[in-house]
Amino acid sequence: MTRSLSEKIDHNTLACGVEYGVVELPKRHVAAFQIRILAGTCNEPEHLPGLARLVEDTLDKGTERHTGRELSDAFDVIGAGRNSGAGRETAAFTCTVLPEHFERALELHAELLCQPTFPDDVVKVNLDLTRQELKALEDEPQALLDKLMAPKALGPILGRHPLGDRSGIDRITTGDLRQFWKSHYSSGRMIVSVAGPMNESRVAAALNRCFEGFGPSKRETNGLPPAVFTPGVNHHSKDLAQEHIAVCWPGVDATHDDFPIQQVILGVLAGGMSGRLFTEVREKQGLVYWVSAWQETPRGFGLLYMGASTTPERCKKTYDTLLREVNRLSDDLTESELERAKTGIIAGWETRGDATRARCSELASDLYFFGRPMPMSERVSRIQRVTRDDVSRYLRTYRRDQLCVMTLGPRALTEGSNSTSDARTKEAIRQ
Amino acid sequence: MSPATSATSPFTVHTLKNGLSVVIEEMPDVCSVAAGFLCRTGARDETPPLAGVSHFLEHMMFKGTSRRTWAQITIDFDSMGSAYNAFTSEDRTIYYGWVRTKDLEPQIELLADMMRSAIPLDEFTTEKNVILEEIAMSKDNLDHVAFDFLQEKVFAGHPLAWPILGYDSTVQSLTRDQMWDYFQQRYAPNNMLLVVAGALKPEQVIEVAERYCGSWPRVTDPPKRVPPKVARGVDVLKLDRFNQQVIALTFPSVSACDSRIEVVSAAATILGGENSRMYWDIVQKGIAPRAGAHHLDFTDSGVLILYGSCDPTNAELLLDALRKEARRLTDEPPRDAEVDRVKNRRRTSVAVEAEAPYYRLTQLMDDMEFHGRPRTVDEALAEVDAVTSDSIVKFLREFPIDGEGHLTSVGPRDWPKL
Repeated sequence: MTRSLSEKIDHNTLACGVEYGVVELPKRHVAAFQIRILAGTCNEPEHLPGLARLVEDTLDKGTERHTGRELSDAFDVIGAGRNSGAGRETAAFTCTVLPEHFERALELHAELLCQPTFPDDVVKVNLDLTRQELKALEDEPQALLDKLMAPKALGPILGRHPLGDRSGIDRITTGDLRQFWKSHYSSGRMIVSVAGPMNESRVAAALNRCFEGFGPSKRETNGLPPAVFTPGVNHHSKDLAQEHIAVCWPGVDATHDDFPIQQVILGVLAGGMSGRLFTEVREKQGLVYWVSAWQETPRGFGLLYMGASTTPERCKKTYDTLLREVNRLSDDLTESELERAKTGIIAGWETRGDATRARCSELASDLYFFGRPMPMSERVSRIQRVTRDDVSRYLRTYRRDQLCVMTLGPRALTEGSNSTSDARTKEAIRQ
Repeated sequence: MSPATSATSPFTVHTLKNGLSVVIEEMPDVCSVAAGFLCRTGARDETPPLAGVSHFLEHMMFKGTSRRTWAQITIDFDSMGSAYNAFTSEDRTIYYGWVRTKDLEPQIELLADMMRSAIPLDEFTTEKNVILEEIAMSKDNLDHVAFDFLQEKVFAGHPLAWPILGYDSTVQSLTRDQMWDYFQQRYAPNNMLLVVAGALKPEQVIEVAERYCGSWPRVTDPPKRVPPKVARGVDVLKLDRFNQQVIALTFPSVSACDSRIEVVSAAATILGGENSRMYWDIVQKGIAPRAGAHHLDFTDSGVLILYGSCDPTNAELLLDALRKEARRLTDEPPRDAEVDRVKNRRRTSVAVEAEAPYYRLTQLMDDMEFHGRPRTVDEALAEVDAVTSDSIVKFLREFPIDGEGHLTSVGPRDWPKL
C-alpha cells in the first residue's frame, strides 16, 4: 500500500468568513484539527513585544462560561490532546481527539477563542511567568541563539521573539490583551485544517455553528511581512562549554517556483546522515555532535540556515567547513546525491502521512502559504522535477555573498565581531 | 511461528534457533513499516572504567561492517528515504528505521548488517571526538546536568549512578579492544529483539530475519542485573553559570514490569501532568514556570520524581509547594473525575500511538521488555481502565511520597545549606 496520490481534499470558505480544508482519511481512528489565526508576533504593537503569545496563552484561562481549570477539565472529559502557540505570523491551536468528540472539541475551542475574559489575576501571573521564562531562556543555548539571531535575520518586526522582552512585558496590561484579542481574533482571520475520518459537510456544519458571528466575516490577510535581513558577524558572550554557531542567508519563499530546488539543496546538505554537513563536519573530522541545515519561510521571504555547536577551539574550523560545503555544492553535486535528497523528502511525506496529525499539519501549511490544499501528486512532482542544472541555476541566481552569522559562547569567531557590519561578510559564501 | 494472543491477533512472535526473538505486528491500513533492533545493554551494564561504552558503541555501530563502510551505511539508509536513528538508555540500546513498505527487506538487512559492526579503529578515534562534543553539549543544558546529578546521588554506588554519555575521562581512556569485548558479550541474539510493525507479511519478515540474523552466534546469557537502593537525603550542586534552580524530590517506586505501573503513572499525571494539580497550584500560582512529576522506571526498579525549575529566589516556595502537593495526594485521594480525565487522555494517546508503525515499534519494545509479550491497544487500554482512586490510595500507602525522600537542588544557589 502506498499513500494515495488522489485522496479527497476539500477546501472552502463559509459565509461567516472561516476558510477551511478537510482531508478525508476514512480508515483513521483519530481526528486532528488546527485553527490558525492571523495574530502572530508581527501583529503586535511595537511597544508591546510578547503580547501575541500572552493573549494566546491566556485565552484558555477563563471564559464567560468556565474558569481555566473547568475548561481544561472539559477538554479532558473528551480526552483531547491539544497544543497552542504564537508564531511570527499566526497563532495556532491544534487538537487531536477520537472522531466522535470532534464537534465537542471544536465547541470548546470556539469558547476560548470567542469568549475569553482575561481575568486580571491570571494575566498578572502570566506576566510574571513570562518574566521567569525570559530568564530561563538564558539557560537554553540553542533557544537563546535563535532569539539573538532572529532580529538580524528577519528584522525588528518579523524577528520578534514570542516571549518579547522584559521592558515590553512590564508595560503590558489586561486592557492590552483584550484589545489585541478584539482586533485580531475573528472568523475572517481564521484558517481551519482538519484531517481524519471526517467529511466536508460535517466539518462545515460544526464550524458554522461554532464561529458564526465571531467578529468581521470579511477575509483578511496580514499582507507580506516586513522582512529585513542584516548581514554581519555577531557574537554574544556567555560562559558555556561549547560555542553555538548559526549562519543564515536569504533564499526563496514557500510559494516561489524555485522553492522545491531549495528543499532539495537542504536535503543534500542535511537530509540524512549521508548529507554533506553531517559527513564532512561530523563523520570525517569529528568536530561536532550536532550540525544541521534548515529553512525558515515566513510568507514572501525565505532564509536558509546552517547551525552547529562545538568546543571553542574547534569553532573556526567548523565554521569554515560549513561554508566550504555550501560553496562546493555548485561544483560537484552528483546525480546520486540529488536522488537521495529527493527520495528523502518524498519518503518522509509518505511515512509520516500514516500519522493523522502530520496530515493535518501539512494541510494547514498549504492553506496558509498557497491558499489551497496541495495534492500529494503535485507535491511529489515538484520535487521529482528538480535537476542538477536547476540546483546550479539556483546557486547562481540567489546571492550568498552576504551572511548573517551569530555565535554564542565563550569566544568570538573573528575579530570585529559583536558589531553588525553592513560590509560584505569576510568569509561569505562565494557566488 | 506462534501467534502471541489469538487467531485474530495482529502479532506474530517467533524465536530463531540462536535465540533472537522476532516480534511482528501487521498494520494493514498503513503505507509504511518500521523495523528496529533492541539490545538489552546500556549504561547500567558497564563497569566504572567503561562508563559511556554502551552509548559510544551505539555511535560506532554506524561506522562500518565487513560489507559496508560508514559512508555506505548512511547512503543506504538515505537512498530508501528512511527515518532512522538510534538511542541508548540505562538498560537498552535501540536502532530503528521507518520506511515505505517496499523497502522493508533492505531496511532489515541494513540494520542487521550494522549489528555485526567491525568497529573500525580509525573511525573509533574520530568518533571519540564526537562523543566528547556531545558530553560538552550536555554540560550546557541545565536539565541534563540536573538529571545526571540526581541519578548520581539517588543511585549512589550503583551503575545507574553514572551518566549514559560517560565522563570525559572514561571516554578519553576507552580503547577499541575494550569496546570490542563489550560488544561481543552484549550484542548476541539471545540478548536482542527484532521488532517490525507496519504493512507487512509476517512470514516474509521471519524469512528475512532468518536469512540475515540466523547465523549470529549465541553467547552465555549476560549476568543478571542487581536492583539499586534508592538514597535519601539532600544533595546540592551549585553552578553559577545557570539562571534557574532545579529542585527535585525522589521517592522509591515500582519497576516498569510491575502490575501497578498504570496506577503510579496515573498518580504522576494527576500530580504533575497536563492539567494537573501541580500545573494549577504551582505554575499557575506563579511560583515556577515549570513543575511536574515523572516516573523513571527500569525492568527491576523505579522512582517517582517531583520536580520544578524556578527563579533561585523562589526555591523555598517551590520546594514547599512540591511537598504540599505530595502530602495532598496522600491526604486527599484523587476524585473519580480526576482519575477519569487521565484515562480519557490516555485513550486518545493510545489511539494516536496505534496509527503509525514507528509509534507501534517503540510500544512493542516496551511491551516485550516489561510484559514479556506484545499487547493490543485494547489490552493496554484495559489496564488503564482498571486504575481507580482506591488503587492509587493503596499504592501511596505502600510507596509513600509524603516523607522526606531525596532532595536534589541544582543551580546558582547553594541551597539548602547542608
